[in-house]
Amino acid sequence: MTLLAACLAALALMLAIPVPRLLREAEFRSRSPWAAMLLWQAIALAGGVSMVSAPMVYGLGPFGDSVPAAASKVLGLMATADFAALTDLGVHPGHIFALCLSVLLGGHLLLTLLLTYVRVLGQRRRHRDVVRLLSTPVDGNRAAVLGRHLNLSAELGDAHVLEHEAPLAYCLPGRTHAGSVTVLSRGLLNQLSAAELGAVVAHEKTHLQQRHHFLTMAFEAWYRALPWLPTTRHGRAAVTELTEMLADDGALRAHTRQDLLRALALSSAGPDHQDVLREGTQTVAESLAPAEAETARGPEPGPDAESTSGDDAESRLITTARLRRLLAPPAPLSRPALGGVIGSAAALVLVPAAALLLGA
Amino acid sequence: MATLGGLERSVMSLLWDSAESLSANDVRDRLGEDLAVTTVLTVLSRLERKEMVRRERSTRPHRYSATASREEHTVEMLNEVLGTAGDREAVLARFIGTIPDSEAAALRRLLQN
Repeated sequence: MTLLAACLAALALMLAIPVPRLLREAEFRSRSPWAAMLLWQAIALAGGVSMVSAPMVYGLGPFGDSVPAAASKVLGLMATADFAALTDLGVHPGHIFALCLSVLLGGHLLLTLLLTYVRVLGQRRRHRDVVRLLSTPVDGNRAAVLGRHLNLSAELGDAHVLEHEAPLAYCLPGRTHAGSVTVLSRGLLNQLSAAELGAVVAHEKTHLQQRHHFLTMAFEAWYRALPWLPTTRHGRAAVTELTEMLADDGALRAHTRQDLLRALALSSAGPDHQDVLREGTQTVAESLAPAEAETARGPEPGPDAESTSGDDAESRLITTARLRRLLAPPAPLSRPALGGVIGSAAALVLVPAAALLLGA
Repeated sequence: MATLGGLERSVMSLLWDSAESLSANDVRDRLGEDLAVTTVLTVLSRLERKEMVRRERSTRPHRYSATASREEHTVEMLNEVLGTAGDREAVLARFIGTIPDSEAAALRRLLQN
């Protein structure tokens, strides 16, 4: 039991500090974001389980040779209030303290998860109420709401348009899939072409379809429960980034990289930059695929057009992993590597659970 | 505007645009639709539950007004969307905002060339 407790404590420590730090920057997340997502979810689960069970197993040590047997022994002694047996078993106050610590920590984590869930749900409901009152559903009057984007009305049927000039797009998960809302601002509709807007909507739909709000919930709760642990912040940021990558991939199934990148650039832009970009020609392919650029290159649009070396300089400035993988798509992980990641994730969840139930 | 959601939007819009508080009868008259006052009262009480509408109980009949202006609600929403209202990360999934401004600018220059 002492060895098991030590192993669980070591695992908890590993999953709390060095592992998230390494994984946060791991290059493979850009190649196969879903595999990284799987690993993060396993880390959250295994981290919580090992953190709570390490003191529990230590505290149960004198009570029996296996965790289930020792736990039932403790419950039995509590029911009969048998203090003499504690002395006979050689129970140290430290063991009692460890058991209390485990119960408190476990309760704290579960309660925070529950509270976070309730809180986030309440905030979403409130936001949905206000959105429904402030914005116009596309479905009501397609022609009036969509204007020149009327040809997109099939994709935009359940979207809401918010009359605001800031270019925004986001989605609000509902309790059911039908209760979810995609919100687009008037500024975005004005800025983007139909193809770019299609890519944005596909991105948001992927968030909803893949239920990314569930994947981020545990990390939000983990962060709220232990905000002093620097790695809970890593986990939350990493998982948010991965959901964006996954949603980008979803959008790319039906839309081009150029449309998505242009939509990203335009919807993040201040008004002065947007005008500049809108005047440019549709030659994104040049900067993305230098080989094609030779044939596609036409007259440069602006007087301050930069040379190819300027492009290199700009692309070096872009270090955000999400943008980098859109600009220069990396190859997905090889099959053996994927197997390794999936295997590690499975082992993280199953090994501690099996050790707790079966091991001594 | 047959749906309840559509009615809520119309009533809210009326209250936002009105300088004074309105009674349920005023609301019905201004909507210019053939509605029962009870329907309007239902809509108003739903809006009150959503904390969008304040009811003045000192007068008979009760009068209703918006709790905040259209602009104030928009700002509240945008703050949530842009993540400027504290820890709101989990509430929304966003298309923008995860890209730092400097990188978005570099991307724009790159796409422009």
